[in-house]
Amino acid sequence: MARYDYVEKAVKVTRREFLGIVGVAGAVLWTGAYVATDLVQDRTKYIKMRAQGIYKDDEKAKIRQSHNNQAVTDVYKKFAHNPLSHLAEELFHTN
Amino acid sequence: MKGFQAQEKTGIIEIDRKTCKGCDSCKAFCPTDAIEGKYGAIHKIDGEKCVSCGQCLINCPFGAPQDTVDVVDQVIDKLKNKQVTVVGTIAPAVRVAIGEEFGMEPGSLVTEKLYGAMKEAGFKVLDTNFTADQTIMEEGMELIAKIRHYALGEPTAHHLGPLPQFTSCCPAWVTYAELYYPELLPHMSSAKSPMMMAGALGKTYGAAEIWQVAPADVFMVGIMPCTAKKFEASRPEFHSAAHYWQTQGQSGDYPDIDVVLTTRDLARLFKKLNINVRTVAEYSDQDNPLAQYSGAATIFANTGGVMEAALRTAYFVITGTELDVLEFKPVRGLQGVKEAAVTLKDAKTGSAVTLNVAVAHGTKQNVKPLLDEVQAGKSPYHFIEIMNCPGGCVNGGGQPINPMGTSWLDKAKAVLPWA
Repeated sequence: MARYDYVEKAVKVTRREFLGIVGVAGAVLWTGAYVATDLVQDRTKYIKMRAQGIYKDDEKAKIRQSHNNQAVTDVYKKFAHNPLSHLAEELFHTN
Repeated sequence: MKGFQAQEKTGIIEIDRKTCKGCDSCKAFCPTDAIEGKYGAIHKIDGEKCVSCGQCLINCPFGAPQDTVDVVDQVIDKLKNKQVTVVGTIAPAVRVAIGEEFGMEPGSLVTEKLYGAMKEAGFKVLDTNFTADQTIMEEGMELIAKIRHYALGEPTAHHLGPLPQFTSCCPAWVTYAELYYPELLPHMSSAKSPMMMAGALGKTYGAAEIWQVAPADVFMVGIMPCTAKKFEASRPEFHSAAHYWQTQGQSGDYPDIDVVLTTRDLARLFKKLNINVRTVAEYSDQDNPLAQYSGAATIFANTGGVMEAALRTAYFVITGTELDVLEFKPVRGLQGVKEAAVTLKDAKTGSAVTLNVAVAHGTKQNVKPLLDEVQAGKSPYHFIEIMNCPGGCVNGGGQPINPMGTSWLDKAKAVLPWA
């Protein structure tokens, strides 16, 4: 014999609880939005990091202008004569 | 629309039907609107429109676009074959990114470790930076010849294209121009890209003077931050070395660059050979003339870099003196279109000429307005550098897919310790 009455508890949210729920939901949405913008910012960040690595390579180079690369000058001296020569046109340009 | 030629590799980038969620993210990064499919439906790439740049691949949150050309095992076979001289030509942007595949921070400069790893794998090196210097000599002299002719009124022995002159290093940009602005092609520098110069040089000068082997036994491997380079290498016009040797009485036909590995592919190759770039013995290929390069060459990897390198040399050639400050700040950074004016005093005639230059990167947003200006005959520029990928080659479609980037899956891997 049932000694108790089953009464369904009404779903009631107090003002305080409601604020809590809204706060949590808001935080979740905000995190999502934050992640999305963060992704694009991060993309720019790693492009910049790689670009910095490249500029570092330039700064530490002993020779910093193409016309001062002795090995390239040698290619012209020993083989291709000079830039835009007939042979250079044939091998290093499209027509 | 111009069709592709028979031998050319097309369909380098394809979207995996099983992985694609139809989220449309890729469309935001595709420079030519080549991606078809409604929101929510499985997407597909139109091969006739695609420039193979791979921006969709590195930016898809789910990793659905795939690089379909995999030559890693073929290169390993060649490396094992003692008859073959396998030459790797390493693009500038590879040396600041490959470390990421071995757990290093983005931007870590690992040139010596990369040379060490290449040596251990059995490659000879003809650094693409070396031919980037050569590109400046060829493309820069072409520009200077145009300036001397058009601005200073000097007579010319060569046929010269019109100004402004466009850079021709970026294969995705070249394909874009061929497909969408064919009437502007006379403006394109006739100089080959550094990779294609490396192919032609390696199988002529390199084979004969440096390695002293038969050119047909040289296997040139482009190591690039770029998927479009796979397309460029397959173009039938790039058989210059074979044609040169035919004029010297030799027979045989072979491409200048045999195959292309992306930065990701090279990392896979090293891993298959148990080589760890992080721990490998460093090597500075000092005695190798084809591994010498200037600072001007290495900055080709960044947007504005080709321009800056060209200005350093153009300044010297026209004025007869070196630039005081080599860093040319106006063309650096990630602004969409960068422009600058440089006044040069011609050492020969004493007259001054002002060179107007522009730099654009990211075809999707920044390139079209510049091209429309040239088409309308209203362009104020003499020299325009264009790179397809935002930021330049450092952000190419063949680079490591960065967990800091827009790929959500890799992002989760980077953030979650158990993933």
